[in-house]
Amino acid sequence: MDYSLTADQASILDGLEQLIEAHSPAAPTQPRTVYDAPSLEAALVESGYLGIAREADFGLLEAALVTERLARLPWAVEVAASALVAPALRIDAQLRPVALCSGNLDTPARFLRTAQVLLVLRDEEALLVRLEGAKITPVESLLAYPYGRLADCSRPVEHLGDARVLRRRWRIALAAEAAGCMAAALALVLEHVRNRHAFGRPLGAFQAIQHRLAMAAEAVEASRWLALRAAWSDSEQDAATAAGFAQAQIPQLTYDLHQFCGAMGLTLEFPLHLWTYRLRALLGELGGASAQLRGAAEATWGL
Amino acid sequence: MEFGWSPDEEAHRVRVRAVLHRTLPADWEQISMHGPGSAEQTAFSKVMCAALAREGLLISHWPRAFGGEDEAVWRQFILGEELWEAGEPRGPQYMNVNWVGPVMMRFGTAAQLDKYLPPIRAGQAVWCQGFSEPSAGSDLAALRTEALPVEGGYRVTGAKIWTSYAGLADTCFLLARVPVTQGGLGGKAAIVILLVDMRSPGIQVKQIPSLIGEGDIHEVFFDQVFVPATERFGAEGQAWEIISYLLQHERIGIPRYAFSRRVLDRGVARLKRLGRWTDPSVRDRAGRALAYCEAARLLIYRIVDGKARSLPPDDFAALARWATVQADNAVNDFLTEFLPDGLLGADPVQQAHHQRAIAAGIASGAAEIQLNIAAQRWLDLPREPRR
Repeated sequence: MDYSLTADQASILDGLEQLIEAHSPAAPTQPRTVYDAPSLEAALVESGYLGIAREADFGLLEAALVTERLARLPWAVEVAASALVAPALRIDAQLRPVALCSGNLDTPARFLRTAQVLLVLRDEEALLVRLEGAKITPVESLLAYPYGRLADCSRPVEHLGDARVLRRRWRIALAAEAAGCMAAALALVLEHVRNRHAFGRPLGAFQAIQHRLAMAAEAVEASRWLALRAAWSDSEQDAATAAGFAQAQIPQLTYDLHQFCGAMGLTLEFPLHLWTYRLRALLGELGGASAQLRGAAEATWGL
Repeated sequence: MEFGWSPDEEAHRVRVRAVLHRTLPADWEQISMHGPGSAEQTAFSKVMCAALAREGLLISHWPRAFGGEDEAVWRQFILGEELWEAGEPRGPQYMNVNWVGPVMMRFGTAAQLDKYLPPIRAGQAVWCQGFSEPSAGSDLAALRTEALPVEGGYRVTGAKIWTSYAGLADTCFLLARVPVTQGGLGGKAAIVILLVDMRSPGIQVKQIPSLIGEGDIHEVFFDQVFVPATERFGAEGQAWEIISYLLQHERIGIPRYAFSRRVLDRGVARLKRLGRWTDPSVRDRAGRALAYCEAARLLIYRIVDGKARSLPPDDFAALARWATVQADNAVNDFLTEFLPDGLLGADPVQQAHHQRAIAAGIASGAAEIQLNIAAQRWLDLPREPRR
């Protein structure tokens, strides 16, 4: 047991910080529900960060560390599926962005507008749809990801077999991404309550607010460590536990964080929604918290 | 970063389990139902701790100079995890090895070390901590019990409350205040620590009937109790430094989730036998309780990892304490709702867990104080102005 980063992991994250610094777009100024960062995404691909789980000396844990860090950025960049899901299904690293959906092929999916491949979890089977030349209908929403819907459901479908690998990696990806979004949202709100005054003192000096932010911090830390352990073990039990725990925290966490920002937090000008509405998107994936928690129970104690 | 155990750690866990298997009696579940401060558990703790001492497991984490083996932090933690999973059969003696001994080694006189460490090492000492008072619980600095300096020592008068294990304790680790009129330094600096023989004339112990088991909480009255100066622990004015040190040892890194997890496993096994596991809502709630246990586990591991790497203690412990309270309650709420007969005699272990879980956010200081600490020291939020 050792919670410290290895020298290689520290080096990966240091390099990632430099890359973020060099390639991030300017801070968002226009009030929009979602922002992309094509130059950053290109740099991430070019430098191999999204394929790190495929490298001989690295693996899923490093991919989860990268995913969690990048999820703290305000930009919606497709990282988790490329870094954590696609390698397990032996999908070519060049075939990205990767979109994920469950159920019907025309279910709205994150990143589908630019994706080259759609992975579908249907019943107990994993399917793959190549998207070159496919017609994608953009879906506008509050959820802070670029969503699209596959307009042509008669496209050829490749059967990848058993759904377990796709579901397990999707859970790990979801958990790592949620942990990063939670951390960034909490950091933003902490800054807000330190500086915003009411009744002659900072909002953050009120005990009622302090307690809920401390609980939020516990949820963030637990989500992060559960996600990293799941990436380390790649086990059904840890993956379902991590995703289920993170999803179960999202309603209270997002409610509290918005609440402490008042009406300001309901505007598009204030960036909180860039993380809380990604979290709300993640809350609804894979059947929601209950499905993951039942999965954790079944993986632990059987059916 | 590594979430697995080394072969040595795995072997250590196997050994601890074997010792527990050999030592715990067939009626341990019935004994454990009486609560850690009960006469039954206190008596058994002397059997258990003596056995752990014979196996070299009781104080192996202590420095060699004090009879320990300087055992690695994670090995010691594995022992704690296994003992908690079994329902903590060290009973009241857990605190001897966790903090009484370590605090003694750091601040005690040679005479105090000679007197108090041997019974702890032998697994035969029972201590209680005289901290909380009717008007000073989590706000410990408000304590009022007086220690009047007299020739050769102190005369102690006052009352302590919620004192665990007091009915059967040999010694009390007592906090009292030297009045300013009698030379006390004022405020926290007026507090002195006295090691009080519980058989001293003038001490009266009254058990308080409670929801959390027999012998767990008491009122202790001190009426002009003489304590020799040789039993003052640390210098006058040093008590708060010692208290802060011991609270770091007492409150952090306790693997309570291990007991919750075991009780959850038992509950699920019962639900399966009852044919209720086919209900998805049961699996949902069991999975939720499991997730809270695992969250608490990983946050406690974060603290132990810091100790293992000799990092200075930080206020992350406050978050881990909250996670632990959440885990205990998630399991307790799940079982109380889905297996209510466990509290009606069907499962003594569930009953014992229930009684620990309802105190999880209260014992060792209110969990809300931990939220204050987390907010102000970990999250760097401003203090609420005092009125």
